[in-house]
Amino acid sequence: MPVAIVGCGAISRFFYSEAFKALAGPERLRVTALVDPSRENLSHLAKDFPEARRFAAIEEADIGREHLVIVASPPKFHAAQSILALGKGAAVLCEKPMAASIEDAEAMALAARETKGILAIGLYRRFFQATEAIRALIQHQSLGRLQSFQIREGGPFGWQAASESFFRRSATPGGVLYDTGVHTLDLILWWLGEPVDLIYEDDAMGGLESNCRIELTYANQCKGEVRLSRDWKTDNRYTFFFEHGFARWTVNDANHLEVFMEGLPVSMRGELIHVSQKGERVIERGIACTNPQCFIEQVRNAAAAKRGLDSLKIPAAEGIRSLRLIERCYRNRQLLKMPWMTADQEIEARRLAVAV
Amino acid sequence: MKVAVVGASGFVGTRLVEHLVLGRVAEVVPVVRSFSSLAVVARFELPWKVCDVMDPISLATAFAGCDAVVHAALGDPGQIVKMAGSVYTAAEKAGVKRLVALSSAAVHGLNPPPGTDERTPIHGRQSMDYNNAKVRAEQVLRKSRELGKVELVLLRPSIVYGARSRLFPSVVEKLISGTAFLINDGQGICNGIYVDNLIEAICLALFCDKADGEAFLVGDADTVAWREIYACLADALGIRLDSVHRVIAPTFRKSFKERVESFVATPLAQSILPAIPGEAKRLTKVVLGALKRPMPPNAWTLPEPPAAQIDEEMTALQQCVWKYPNEKAVKLMGFQPPVSFQEGMRRTIAWMEFAGYPLNHR
Repeated sequence: MPVAIVGCGAISRFFYSEAFKALAGPERLRVTALVDPSRENLSHLAKDFPEARRFAAIEEADIGREHLVIVASPPKFHAAQSILALGKGAAVLCEKPMAASIEDAEAMALAARETKGILAIGLYRRFFQATEAIRALIQHQSLGRLQSFQIREGGPFGWQAASESFFRRSATPGGVLYDTGVHTLDLILWWLGEPVDLIYEDDAMGGLESNCRIELTYANQCKGEVRLSRDWKTDNRYTFFFEHGFARWTVNDANHLEVFMEGLPVSMRGELIHVSQKGERVIERGIACTNPQCFIEQVRNAAAAKRGLDSLKIPAAEGIRSLRLIERCYRNRQLLKMPWMTADQEIEARRLAVAV
Repeated sequence: MKVAVVGASGFVGTRLVEHLVLGRVAEVVPVVRSFSSLAVVARFELPWKVCDVMDPISLATAFAGCDAVVHAALGDPGQIVKMAGSVYTAAEKAGVKRLVALSSAAVHGLNPPPGTDERTPIHGRQSMDYNNAKVRAEQVLRKSRELGKVELVLLRPSIVYGARSRLFPSVVEKLISGTAFLINDGQGICNGIYVDNLIEAICLALFCDKADGEAFLVGDADTVAWREIYACLADALGIRLDSVHRVIAPTFRKSFKERVESFVATPLAQSILPAIPGEAKRLTKVVLGALKRPMPPNAWTLPEPPAAQIDEEMTALQQCVWKYPNEKAVKLMGFQPPVSFQEGMRRTIAWMEFAGYPLNHR
């Protein structure tokens, strides 16, 4: 299957490039086209795919029905590029966040429906066995009902941003919530569904937030707190408190989990392995996939869906959900309490925050 | 007034930008080294500049139209010295009137002899490379001032604490892990300055007529012992202060690796390094890395309680018996630290709680 990579920045260089090298043999996926307005970005990626043709714009690329198109450009271009590729009959795997606005995301989903095309969204944490296991703990109530959860995620911004587009309100709709938060909120929605109530606070004072805090309340009285930061190091932990124990997960650790069950003298932290049970026989089926293997798996899933061999795990409708929740957060924005500020500074900070 | 803040994404720079913007003190141009450094700066919509702070031409473009520059950027010892020259040259090119540069009380050492003040000669033969670099940076700046037109004010804060500081959180981490220590029962003096007090000094230095060409030691008004700092932090954690290791100050000798690293940081080595082939540098790093590798643990031992992790910097700091005077800053600039030690610690601990440190079992 021929593949076009649209957007040859850091995500393509460090993630998709490796994924397609891994999939070239077993899945017969060949990168045939690279698209990016930057010659420098094109040259970097062309080192891994020297036979691929290079284009400055997606309109110039010879994309057809047989293609899988990876849309990994800045979010404001996702809608136009995905819709164009879907229009040509190609399958699309679009990086997160799905789009720069709900309207754009809905237009993409509509295009996928109308063309009966494949539109996958790159929320690959759902491929982790650890996140799958958390979902099962919540749904099957193996440790009892989920009562509350705490999420702390982020650290000093380390992504090698090639421009200021990550940080200008004119170029991107949000800060840490819109960036890291897309993954976080997608998982929360996948695990727990829509919250009935939320309180959202962040530290944007005319610009984009580097810290935010969300309090979520669910119909079953479960409550959760999410803290995201691009500012200082958090412990990058998700902790779930059930009636009869707790579970802890370290961000991006695809195949490890810690579980404490009431009555046990210790907590269990370990590697996740696939097993099956036949009577009194337990058969080990191998270690769950690592983080990079899950990234590869999401690409394989999109290609398999295109070939009709597998169902699409994260279609457009799922990508829109986290964007809607993010928009709901921003609609309810309040200034985050920054306890080091003086009273006068807080008043001015509030004025700047409201003025946006 | 329009002020460029070099190092606007750092601990002091971040708070300075907050102060200048939220207090409507000045128009601010944050200057950072990379796009990634904009993450916190971008909370405000400001005309920031991303440039190579070692390159005076690039910096001069960033300073265009500014009346003053505050140099608060950090770096390794080599960068500290080089930046001093490039910031002054750039300010000169851009027609900036005044440069306020953050030096450090470390130019006098971490454990200065009693009586030390701004008149005490400084020298670059200290055991810590950072201190020597700060001395050399001051020398570069003073020489530039002799030849140039840009007014220069040097501020010498000692231990700056507050939201986003590194030292006190590292003490907290050691208290939690049971590796914190006190020398002489913590009776040594902590020459601390709460970040807002430093900001006050910076703002005075921007405007004060009598400050050009001067260096000022600046600190909190209170004289505080290390024991009080540890007591505040331990209390916030719910840890008993008497559980902190009491130790006798050891003598430190630089390892081979540290001696090599010290040499590499010197101006001589920095001038030679570009001529050394990359492969040779890589191999040296591999060899030095191998020297650091710890021995594998012996399985036939019982777990031991955590021992004190004694480092040279904290050892020197805790032996300090001299409170740096603020007299010169008071006399020439009218410096009066607005925040007391108690209030500064309260805000610092509130920030740590905000940032997720486990202080909630108070």
